[in-house]
Amino acid sequence: MTFLIQQTLVYTIPLMIVALAGVFAERSGIINIALDGIMIFGSFVGAFAVYLMQKENMLADNTQLMFVIAMICAAAAGAVFSLLLSFSAINLKADQTIGGTALNMLAPAITLLIVKIVSMQDRLSMPKALGFIISNPDIGEGLKPFFDKMFISTYIVIALFIILSIFLYKTKYGLRLRACGEHPQAADSVGINVYRMRYLGTTISGALAGMGGYIYIATIASGTAEGTVAGMGFLALAIMIFGNWKPVGIALGSLLFGLLKCIGATYANLDINGDGVCALKELGLPIYFYNIVPYVVVLLVLAFAAGKSRAPKAEGIPYDKGQR
Amino acid sequence: MKKVLSLVLCVAMLLGTMALVSCKKEADTYEIAVVTDVGQLMDKGFNQGTWEGAEAYAKANGKTYKYYQPANGSDATDNDRIAAMRQAITNGAKIIIAPGFLQATAMTTVAKEHPEVKFVFIDGWTLTDENNNPLSNVTAVVYKEQESGYLAGYAAVMDGYRKLGYTGGGGGTNPACNRFGYGFVQGAEAAAKALDLEAGSVTVKYSYQHGASFSASPELQTQINGWYSAGTEVVFACGGSMFESVKSAAEANPGSKIIGVDVDQSYASELVITSAVKGLKESVAKVLDQYYAGKWDSELAGKTQNLGASDDATGLPIATSRFENFTAAQYNELLGKIKNGTIVPDATVPADANDADWLKNFDIVVVDFE
Repeated sequence: MTFLIQQTLVYTIPLMIVALAGVFAERSGIINIALDGIMIFGSFVGAFAVYLMQKENMLADNTQLMFVIAMICAAAAGAVFSLLLSFSAINLKADQTIGGTALNMLAPAITLLIVKIVSMQDRLSMPKALGFIISNPDIGEGLKPFFDKMFISTYIVIALFIILSIFLYKTKYGLRLRACGEHPQAADSVGINVYRMRYLGTTISGALAGMGGYIYIATIASGTAEGTVAGMGFLALAIMIFGNWKPVGIALGSLLFGLLKCIGATYANLDINGDGVCALKELGLPIYFYNIVPYVVVLLVLAFAAGKSRAPKAEGIPYDKGQR
Repeated sequence: MKKVLSLVLCVAMLLGTMALVSCKKEADTYEIAVVTDVGQLMDKGFNQGTWEGAEAYAKANGKTYKYYQPANGSDATDNDRIAAMRQAITNGAKIIIAPGFLQATAMTTVAKEHPEVKFVFIDGWTLTDENNNPLSNVTAVVYKEQESGYLAGYAAVMDGYRKLGYTGGGGGTNPACNRFGYGFVQGAEAAAKALDLEAGSVTVKYSYQHGASFSASPELQTQINGWYSAGTEVVFACGGSMFESVKSAAEANPGSKIIGVDVDQSYASELVITSAVKGLKESVAKVLDQYYAGKWDSELAGKTQNLGASDDATGLPIATSRFENFTAAQYNELLGKIKNGTIVPDATVPADANDADWLKNFDIVVVDFE
């Protein structure tokens, strides 16, 4: 049980932060289909930062700080990368879906190019063990699921998630940002700079997605950059719609998906009630079944929730001052 | 203004093409080519071992050498491999070394097209043409992986480990991985018998899940993490880059150990207690040596070498192993028995190892197949 909660959190955290990244862009009126690409780029920059730090033997005795620095680098890279989308979508009024798709294609290409130059192959492996995990084996059994074998990123993401949700719903900047995604003309008429708000939303989105990308590979993919995040960005998009563009819904969606993904990988080994019997293994279903389940569930929920879902009204429409 | 600009552009283009042409002329040829198997070149294992063997020989003897990775990485098809081999031949390859039994079809095709080029097939048997005659420009090298696996399993149990794990690549259809795994379980059983352990006191978690493409993956990392959390003490990571995932999982669980594969992986992590080695480097160098000494027709053409402990091609790197109880003397004694044939690990593995029945006939070791 402890193990299941720990591993579920590991899958949930990157999804949660990247889905929130999607919310920030879409609430400001920009469809950010480039989440996956931004994750890939961010994950590469984060991994590269750690690679350099390990090579130079920096921070060898403070791996937590190293992880935080790498996350900041990844966030910065994601923010810069997302400016490409902002520029094309806001200033050039280009189609946002196509702009985002272009970024999704660009990111793995750039990443693989640099990785090949640096390491002469398709993956950037770390020279040393990452050592990011925080072990507290002596802590009480009840606290273990949340404090043993944890990553600092888990706490950072949960804190960020709460702070940013408050920002979006309880501050005047948040209100302005959301207004630009619902009715930008009305927002403009009361003196809000729509372009600036949309830049803000997309840049925050890029930063969160970039950070989520690195958290994903650092916590679950050995910390190696390979020009892919296994489609986590697209899953995050689905979870954002699943969560109806609202933080609470997203948190629940990520948890559900994280749990199902975790079961898919460990079903043969899960002993939930601790009686030594792995119930799911006894069922004798093939592994493919468990691998498919998360995606089928998301599809089903999306299909049933579609009636109630309410996307920001002005998302995907370039803002034109002359239009009424 | 426009005219000037277009003129400048024209000149630039001309210069560009000239530069390209001159590049082509300078292009070198590479005599020794390595066409990699699925996974990365620097996989700390199979590809890397082969490549380093070729590299070392070429450097020592002043030959030109180059590696070719078939397109599409872990999803490479026969067409990608054929393209890579043809590319190698276009670049002047005289001898192509291709590790991995998946290369059989591609190699047969290209070897028939180019009888003047020699091929070294690592991990596979002699290739034949449509009339079942062996192709004389192909030589094959296979290893008795079961011996290395046997030694690793024996050593682990002798050293005090009781809860073992094995995760293999190729999804259960790679004969080399299957032999490693089968040998590993047999070795554990032999050691358990030697120690007079109770039936059921040694368990082996055995899985081919998440390893079909020999690559690291989140799913594999989570699965192995689950094993370690549930008490597995040491996991035999049998397949190229899968090592990365097992390593990450082991790092998350203090006290967990790893057994490496193919080459000595002790340098890759402190947690590696030993590696089930096969002498890729040495045998590649040996074959190249025979080839350049003009012995191809007499010693290699159309033949298969099945290398084992008696050829010093299988074993454990005992000097760099991190055992606490298992001694070099014990190792040498056991190795001696394998060399002189007193112990012969069984190598009959099914073509698809997901049929779990073949691992059930043990007295002491319980195999928990996933």
